[in-house]
Amino acid sequence: MTSYYAQLLVNGIIAGSIYAMFAVGLAMVYGVFKFINFSHGELITWGAYLTWMFSSSPFSLPVYISVVPALLITVGIGLAQDRFVYRPLRQSNPIAILIASIGLSYMLRNGIRLCWGSDLQTFDLPLSTGILLSGIYITKIQILMVLSALLFFSILYFLLTCTLLGKSLRAVSDNIELSAIMGINMTKVTWTIWVLASVFAGTGGILLALDTSLDPMMGMNSLIKAFAAVLLGGAGNVWGALIGGLFIGIAENISVAFISPDYKDFISYGLIFLLLLFKPRGFFGIAGGVR
Amino acid sequence: MDYFYHILIICLIYSIFAQSLNLELGFTGLYNFGHIAFFGIGAYTSALLSLNGVPIPLAVVGAITLAGIAGALLAIPTLRLSGDYFGIATLVFAEMIHLIFLNERDITRGPMGLPNIPRPDWIGSGISSLPLFLAVTFFAATITFILLRRITNSPYGRSLKVIREDEFVAQALGKNTSLIKTKAIVVGSVLAGLAGVIWAHYITYISPADFTLQETILVLLCVVLGGKGTHPGPVVGAFVIIFFAEFIRFIPIPSEYVRFVAPLQGMVYGFILVIMMLKRPQGLISESRKFATTNA
Amino acid sequence: MLKIENVSKSFGALIAVNDVSFNLGDTGISGLIGPNGSGKTTLFHLITGFYKLDTGNIHFLDQRINGLPPHIISRKGIVRTFQQTRVLPFLSSLDNLITAAPNQLGENLLPLFFQPSKVALQETQNCEKAESILETLGLLKLKDSPAGDLSYGQQKLLEIGRVLMADPKLIILDEPTAGINPTLIRHLVTILENLRDQSIKIFLIEHNMPLVTELCDKIFVMDSGSLIFSGTPSEVQNNSRVIEAYLGRMADAADA
Repeated sequence: MTSYYAQLLVNGIIAGSIYAMFAVGLAMVYGVFKFINFSHGELITWGAYLTWMFSSSPFSLPVYISVVPALLITVGIGLAQDRFVYRPLRQSNPIAILIASIGLSYMLRNGIRLCWGSDLQTFDLPLSTGILLSGIYITKIQILMVLSALLFFSILYFLLTCTLLGKSLRAVSDNIELSAIMGINMTKVTWTIWVLASVFAGTGGILLALDTSLDPMMGMNSLIKAFAAVLLGGAGNVWGALIGGLFIGIAENISVAFISPDYKDFISYGLIFLLLLFKPRGFFGIAGGVR
Repeated sequence: MDYFYHILIICLIYSIFAQSLNLELGFTGLYNFGHIAFFGIGAYTSALLSLNGVPIPLAVVGAITLAGIAGALLAIPTLRLSGDYFGIATLVFAEMIHLIFLNERDITRGPMGLPNIPRPDWIGSGISSLPLFLAVTFFAATITFILLRRITNSPYGRSLKVIREDEFVAQALGKNTSLIKTKAIVVGSVLAGLAGVIWAHYITYISPADFTLQETILVLLCVVLGGKGTHPGPVVGAFVIIFFAEFIRFIPIPSEYVRFVAPLQGMVYGFILVIMMLKRPQGLISESRKFATTNA
Repeated sequence: MLKIENVSKSFGALIAVNDVSFNLGDTGISGLIGPNGSGKTTLFHLITGFYKLDTGNIHFLDQRINGLPPHIISRKGIVRTFQQTRVLPFLSSLDNLITAAPNQLGENLLPLFFQPSKVALQETQNCEKAESILETLGLLKLKDSPAGDLSYGQQKLLEIGRVLMADPKLIILDEPTAGINPTLIRHLVTILENLRDQSIKIFLIEHNMPLVTELCDKIFVMDSGSLIFSGTPSEVQNNSRVIEAYLGRMADAADA
């Protein structure tokens, strides 16, 4: 019985580390540009599908090599989103940006369906063998998921704390107007944010697809989880997103012991609702002033 | 000709749905991204009641009442949220309703959906009933249009716009903004429920797959394209978008290309939303800046 | 009229309003002055219910009003303007005023359908009232223009007109003359003095010292969240503490 819960906990950590990777980009974009990027989910889907494309015929590259061109294209999509949609809308009201991001997400999602159809796809890999460790079963892919998350967040930590770029990034998310006045190179910061968001989301998507399967809705479904993680973590905060992601993953998987698995998604939905209700102005302190 | 009747009926149903969203989104500035939930609640309630022997008029009343109550229940907690957070909360609400449709198999039959939803005897079924169903739908759409025009061309409608422009000013002028917004959501939900009811009894088969984010995006597109905050805007938007969508189904397309049609259509819709926001955020018909106080 | 007792408000470590007490009494026009950041606007937000106070009480016409939501306080007769003009840019000037009319039957849904003639009658009356206010403000010919098209000064006047439309007992004005030209200021002074004659009370924040001394019957001075002095204009002008805290600092600023 203990091992049953331990298994659920491990499943939760695995899911949570992927949610955290999805949430980071969402949190960074919100932190700096103050809008909720709906099309963030499509970076997840495109990362996964592109890797799948390069690893199957006619390319037939090994998966670990396919990842490279796939992530490069995903980063390209991320940068193009900003260049052609979000940058021109920078001064518009947040709702116009939100609607544009919904449109963009719908467009990219249907692009996936156009290229590869709506059916489930899987990587053509030998069945991943698992390890049984004191009653807990875990596959190699799942170990890779947790390790990648660890590696990525370590690199991010180094980038944010030890480099000049990271420092300007943090300054910008504190106050974008002031930072521009202070002579921080906004173009560079903007690029960094979109590259980071795309790489994290794309890699997370690839890992998720390796563990389960690919379908055009995978990004949208993960986006809602990622959003719950961001809300939980608060303040466009990268580390909050990590903790939030882990929390959502664990809560969801533990809940399986108590409620029907059909309602697993209810956990993150319910959390979003509760968080919004008890922190009605949002966690990012975006409350409109009275002045 | 029958195709034409069919297309008109779908356009009119969507025009009711789009008008109901416009009351919230266009006039009040409430970005409800979960409006499909109320369409779904209307459709499921009316279908389930009438399938279980409740007379159809009663089922219809029950369905739109429930949609209104659901609207109030959603409004009360979420209205405190600022713009984009309200949008997320409503989106999540719609996803939760969708999960309930999908998983309460004992009631909704889950993904298999509800077939054979009855119609009133005097309308009948089959192709011969199309003109009469069209007349009924046209009547409902007209009533919706008149009702919403009355509601918005009034001191109440002016308060909605004041709230949209500046909620603090509305409060400083003694407006009970939460109450006013709640009423808008209840009316919007009732009318969305009505659209769902007509749809359920027209198509006679519903399943959870009909009530997803995809439909929310479609109706959002109708309102944004037509012109939010105007009376004809959502109607025009619904006719343009739905006519286009339904018309495509009747174009003979070689079978090997059929699978490309729906995704391409989706890409076009997404693209239109993005382009509208970039180039013409006010929509095809732009809102008059002068409020019609006298012709109410 | 308006009585404020031991009111405090902090934001985190910052004490914006610190144990302020005073009574407006029957004063016609009262002024609130003090350096930037001394808590004046915060105090106005507290009175009008936009901020919740930490401690203390506010009474208006012998009723406690702290804790009430802003719209209820407004309906009790305290109507305000904002520091930066907040007209409704997409509504016409006329609609900007009519919307402020109190107790509009047509703001409820059922009367729209069951008492349409009553609603229409009230709307006509409100329209006439709004037009007469626009006339006194000198804005009548702009009644159909969207308020966003008006000049800054005209928008300020329109905001005052909107307040009048609400049948206020006490008007709270946050820097009514900031950013408008001298001719309009004279116009505004006339309007405010007329209101005093109609026994509508006025409480305003103002930085224009000559204007404050000319217009106000009583002046309250705040510095760093506390009320440091209150009295007639001449008393304030001669008080060393006020001069040091406020006028002196302004002179410094002028020198620099």
